[in-house]
Amino acid sequence: MKISLNHISFSYDADAGPADMIIKDFRGSFTAGAFYSVIGPNGSGKTTLLDLISGFLKPLSGAVKIDGTPVFSFSKKALARLISVVSQDHAVNFPFSVKDIVLMGRHPYIPRFSPPSAEDLNRAETVMETCGMRHLQDRKINELSGGERQRCVFARALCQDTPILLLDEAFSNMDIHHTLDMLHLVKNSVKEKNKLVISVFHDLNLASTWSDDILVLKNGEIRAFGNSAAVLTAKTIKEVFEVNSIVEYSRHVQAKQVYYPIH
Amino acid sequence: MALSIPGAILKGRTGFLVVLFSLFLVSMIFLSLSMGYIRIPLTDILHILITKAAFPIHDFQAINETHLAVIMDVRLPRILSCAGVGAALALSGVLFQGILLNPLADPYTLGVSAGAAFGASIAILLNLGNAFVSVPLFAFAGACLTLFMVIFLSYSAKNPMAGLSSNNLILSGVIVAAILSAGISFLKFIANEQVSVIIFWLMGSFASKTWPNVSVITAFLGIGFFISMFFARDLNLISLGPKSAASLGVDLKKITFILLVSGSLLAAVCVSISGIIGFVGLLVPHMVRFITGPDNRKLIPLSMLSGAFLLLFADTITRAVLPHEIPIGVLTALTGGPVFCWIFKKNRFK
Repeated sequence: MKISLNHISFSYDADAGPADMIIKDFRGSFTAGAFYSVIGPNGSGKTTLLDLISGFLKPLSGAVKIDGTPVFSFSKKALARLISVVSQDHAVNFPFSVKDIVLMGRHPYIPRFSPPSAEDLNRAETVMETCGMRHLQDRKINELSGGERQRCVFARALCQDTPILLLDEAFSNMDIHHTLDMLHLVKNSVKEKNKLVISVFHDLNLASTWSDDILVLKNGEIRAFGNSAAVLTAKTIKEVFEVNSIVEYSRHVQAKQVYYPIH
Repeated sequence: MALSIPGAILKGRTGFLVVLFSLFLVSMIFLSLSMGYIRIPLTDILHILITKAAFPIHDFQAINETHLAVIMDVRLPRILSCAGVGAALALSGVLFQGILLNPLADPYTLGVSAGAAFGASIAILLNLGNAFVSVPLFAFAGACLTLFMVIFLSYSAKNPMAGLSSNNLILSGVIVAAILSAGISFLKFIANEQVSVIIFWLMGSFASKTWPNVSVITAFLGIGFFISMFFARDLNLISLGPKSAASLGVDLKKITFILLVSGSLLAAVCVSISGIIGFVGLLVPHMVRFITGPDNRKLIPLSMLSGAFLLLFADTITRAVLPHEIPIGVLTALTGGPVFCWIFKKNRFK
């Protein structure tokens, strides 16, 4: 499975000039069996890029294709069986239980008017178990803490069981224990089930430790895209984030780590 | 597929509640049939209904002619219209609260009531023929035009992403309703003698409802119920927020549009039949949510039954218990308002 983006441009204003685009003439592809990270400063177009891939937004020009088929030619349900998303909107307006929310991940598989099948219920149970949500399953979602709610949304995306998983700062409210648990889960599914994961990170060290490839965005343009170790350099970080840093290989995580010295 | 709807609903606790609430409603209908200026015993009611509905198994001489007329021509159409309107207002409330992601939304949030009232006021002011036909028609047309205007205001072809969002819809509804209210005030100002007719119509009443009213509300309610149950699970997912719902395969724009139009048409029919009756659409889904939880597949049928029961209860009180009939819209607001305050205070700050 391969996602390819051909000359994608996007702006919320349809009349915007080329210089005002949020995503500018993006060309690149993502292949299954790899964990991709997207990093970049605030407003660089990271979330917009994920929205374009998931089909939530339509590019002004160019097309996003999955194995050669444009995203917009899939039916909504078929697309939901291909791509799951952990987005940043995890406020739920009505008091659904955690179990209800996780089971909603099976929506694209359950025909109208049918109750969930045994397989659907099983999947929800397993996912809640692996995400450590079992003890919370009857709690109301709007009574949970931010991190718990985020884990619930994460479990819902896993319950959706799609070959492509998009994570938009999916770990921002989780404690380090759960962050590492979830990253292990995702990494394993990439290796063992040949899944394709694209994750937006603010923590450069987590991105470096867990991802195979890193995409660096600034002002809607690609600044660097490739193997994590090759992309992550003090020079790139200075250019993109305007901070001084020291980038070193760490044998503890077997990847490069970034330090920000105080002068 | 459609045949499996009852199977999906009538299961476990929800099925039990549906049966229980239906029994309440049927008992209320019989109670209401027997109460009034002329008390009619239950045996007579059954006698008349069986004779009318099925075959004249008993000979006609046995039935009191007055009782027959009171039941078939006066009370039954009024009671069924009332129950239908109650159910439709509650259903419309569920839909609006679900789409607008706002538990404070009600069937009138988008200004449908103001549009209907404006249309009705014009018909009354112009003395357009038989009030039983033209006033409801004008009210319905006014409501539809308002809905069209609100959707036009909150939709943008240039930036379709932000179109039909909850905030846009509520804001457009408030603006359009404010303009129409001013329009209604102006019509009242120039109406002279008819001003009292307008005011009474706006306060709502089920007096002198006829069988055609029953047919209209039943038809709309049936279609509305089918559409809302068809999209009930999608409506659940919409509460996850637009991005999450879209990622789970919900066609947001299509479903928002369909349910919005359904909810508004239901409200429009209600207003055109019985004037503006507040608080049923706001309060009933709230109360039922305490029993069923937020799942719309359970909330929709139970809210409809509860809405029908409560409005019929209120109408029976004003028709048969109070010494003088007061407008039903006033009664529901006067009793529903304080109940809402109590629920609000109790749940917001527990």
